[in-house]
Amino acid sequence: MSRYILRRAAFGFLVTWLVFTTVFFLMNGLGDPAAAVLGANAQESQIRQFKEQKGLDRPLHEQYLSYLGLIPCVRRDSPAWSDDPGARKHCGILQGDLGESYIHHDSVTRVIGHRLPRTLLLGVMAMVVELVFGIGAGIFAGLRPGTTGDRAVMFGTYLGTSLPTYVTGPLALLVFAYLLGWFPVGGYGATPLEHIQHGILPALVLGIGGTAVYARVMRGEVIESMRQEYVRTARAKGVPEGRVILAHGIRNSLLPAVTMIGLSLPGLVSGAIITEKIFAWPGLGALTIEAINALDAPMVLAVTLLFAVMVQIGNLLADVGVALMDPRIQY
Amino acid sequence: MSSTHASDRTRKLAGPLVVLALLALGGFFVANLPKGPDHPRFVGAGNPEPVNGGTFQWTVGSNVRTLDPHIAYDSVSYQAIRLVFDGLLDYDPDGNLIAVLAESLPEISADGKIFRFRLKDGIRFHDGLELTAEEVSWSLHRMLSKRTGSPGYAFFSALRGVADYHEGKAERIEGIVVEDRLTIRFELTHSDQTFLNAMATTFSYPISRAHFERLGGDRTKIAQHPVGAGPFAFEGWERGVKLSFTRFEDYHAPYARPDTMVMWENVDATTAARRFRNGDIDVLAGAPKVHLLFFLESEAWKPYFTLEPNVAVFGLAMNCEMPPLDDVHVRRAIAAAIDRKTITDYMLGLAVPAGQPLPPQLKGHDAELETLQTYDPERAKEELALAGYPNGLPKPIEVWIGEGEGPRNIAQLWQSDLEAVGIPVRLRQVAWATYLAETGKEKSVQMFSSGWSMDFPDPSNFLDPLFHSRSIHPQHSENRSFYRNPELDRLLDEGRAEVDPEKRAALYHEANAIVARDAPWAFLFYPVDFDAWQPYVKNFRPHAVWSDYRSVWLDLPRRPATPEDFEEARR
Repeated sequence: MSRYILRRAAFGFLVTWLVFTTVFFLMNGLGDPAAAVLGANAQESQIRQFKEQKGLDRPLHEQYLSYLGLIPCVRRDSPAWSDDPGARKHCGILQGDLGESYIHHDSVTRVIGHRLPRTLLLGVMAMVVELVFGIGAGIFAGLRPGTTGDRAVMFGTYLGTSLPTYVTGPLALLVFAYLLGWFPVGGYGATPLEHIQHGILPALVLGIGGTAVYARVMRGEVIESMRQEYVRTARAKGVPEGRVILAHGIRNSLLPAVTMIGLSLPGLVSGAIITEKIFAWPGLGALTIEAINALDAPMVLAVTLLFAVMVQIGNLLADVGVALMDPRIQY
Repeated sequence: MSSTHASDRTRKLAGPLVVLALLALGGFFVANLPKGPDHPRFVGAGNPEPVNGGTFQWTVGSNVRTLDPHIAYDSVSYQAIRLVFDGLLDYDPDGNLIAVLAESLPEISADGKIFRFRLKDGIRFHDGLELTAEEVSWSLHRMLSKRTGSPGYAFFSALRGVADYHEGKAERIEGIVVEDRLTIRFELTHSDQTFLNAMATTFSYPISRAHFERLGGDRTKIAQHPVGAGPFAFEGWERGVKLSFTRFEDYHAPYARPDTMVMWENVDATTAARRFRNGDIDVLAGAPKVHLLFFLESEAWKPYFTLEPNVAVFGLAMNCEMPPLDDVHVRRAIAAAIDRKTITDYMLGLAVPAGQPLPPQLKGHDAELETLQTYDPERAKEELALAGYPNGLPKPIEVWIGEGEGPRNIAQLWQSDLEAVGIPVRLRQVAWATYLAETGKEKSVQMFSSGWSMDFPDPSNFLDPLFHSRSIHPQHSENRSFYRNPELDRLLDEGRAEVDPEKRAALYHEANAIVARDAPWAFLFYPVDFDAWQPYVKNFRPHAVWSDYRSVWLDLPRRPATPEDFEEARR
């Protein structure tokens, strides 16, 4: 297992570097960040100055190597810069410096540090919704296939997978927040309790799709498990029905759900871009879109790194989780 | 056997029945939803005189980027910065220059090269430091140093010795002279009356040197902990969420205002409109179409919103170096072919038709202009014939437009007008960053939708960057239509230097007419801003230059409104 984890980590490192490098060069092909940041009124002298400050007047390969931290800093606005070329220090990833955001005038790690917990909070709340309602509804339907209850759940899952967030979000905001007044009208609030209050409605909206998917997967798995020989044997041995369902039926149905949780971890960090926008939730999703639009390369690259690492960790956790739950699986 | 059939039938019916039952339940729920009121939810207490107190809240759609006035170059950051800082000069709501930290407008030498400011005595920053001429000088030196990297440097290029100082070749700027404790003199290399406007930009706002030194000159910290001499002191900033400010008791020009100002960041326009209608926030700047229609149709809201023209212009820029737009007759044909009224109607009154570069608020604008660009399809066809295209252009013109549904819908309106007179057009929607980079390059884009919002309300800020040949560069051209006219250049240079306001207005009047006649742009509309406020918000008046709320006071305690509160408005 440990060799497997090491191998996966090395592979993950390679993938992350490839993703980072691709995005770095893509960002440079998309347009001129100086013009995008300074806007339509920017004068030529302002653009020139901006490029000097950010090192964008240097050849692309120098910018790349400086960003990685392999050559001295090319950014004049970095503390590592010195007018004396011999005294310049390194200011790249290897030194733990991911650069300064062009539009936030602050280190990208600090800006992401502010946003990440908010996105995680919303993501975790949505996942709780998905797990509780999705797995619950799936088990409920799977234990009584073909009944009215099962059909009602299946109808709900059709709706859940068909309705996009940009429909359910504004509708929920209009009905439950504005007209009924049950929830705040968007925003994040000021205290931890308010953050949770403000997060409930977006989490419910965000969780609708996932709930439907979990419910459908769980239903299929429960039906399948309950038809297995070991369930029949347990029943024949007189094991109480509740225990048969819990210990034999449901436990064995949970494997795909565990895999799904692992695979959805990166989604917790990447943020629900549309939901965050609709509910004015100041997380990473909104930050990423803003950074892409403004060609804020340091921010886009830092977020890319974060996402890439999370994908690797999520996949690894899913594999390990499944192996722990199913002794037959060996790596 | 028959009972099995019956249960099969029941099962088959169960699905549709469940669906029907759920739909019926949903329908019942929707039908019984309470309706939102068509009037404001709260009204004021009716205080006869302005009072201090309360918390004023508003939202913005994106982030405040920085609170350093020497770095900020976006309208959202300005909203926060202008609470904390004051400048020597500012604008009144109509856009006229006024003195704020200065005792009066400066004394200007006859040759227009020397500006002498006298500061008000006894002004203090929020940290207690006294504002003196030396502090103003220090602050400007900080802003203009290369190390600070302020975009404001470009507005102060006429100051004597500024380039040497910026490049590190001089210790001080020769053209900034402290005469005594409260008097400071600025000397320019040539007469440039826009220097007054530069002194009213946020770049010139003095920051506290003591605070700067306490923070070790760390620009990131300064960007997040501002100390100025404005009406509100900075309290806190939860990045990406909200900023708060408290009333500064020792403000040099006291007036009634809220105890606290709270600015919520990153609230999308639709959510902001809902929160405003819910009474959660106190003002609303701009509104999505559906909400705008609501306000326009509501009698009760009528006294609480305004539609005020913004000092900006939008149109179609044409690259005068690229055929067939290098021919003035083709450009004039395009300018005459477009019906501006259909565009402004589509925008629900959030625009008024334009036909010249300068907006109505600026000196030089002429409502009776002879060269005014107006909708006249016959004249468009005549101009095309003069250009040698009596049967219309043989090849389509490629026009770049910005992202989003709005620009596309507007483009389709003028596209059909142009095609009706024989000017085929191929639309290309591009990302903002690509648009900015490419349209600023020589011979790159034939025609593109364009707009200009002022840095300051002076005709030079429209005509110089957009149409002076000095603003042409191979890359990053500010004059993106690459229009050259020596006569216009002369008028603009004289206009910048002219001290006499009447002579100055006449020069810009002439320049404005030339640009309208030569049509490097087809000027389409001047945008209009929608601003709404709650009935308990007092003294809000849209500002010609800034979008901010530093003048308001709150008529508290507010109380829930009833339809009767608005009967007068409905009548």
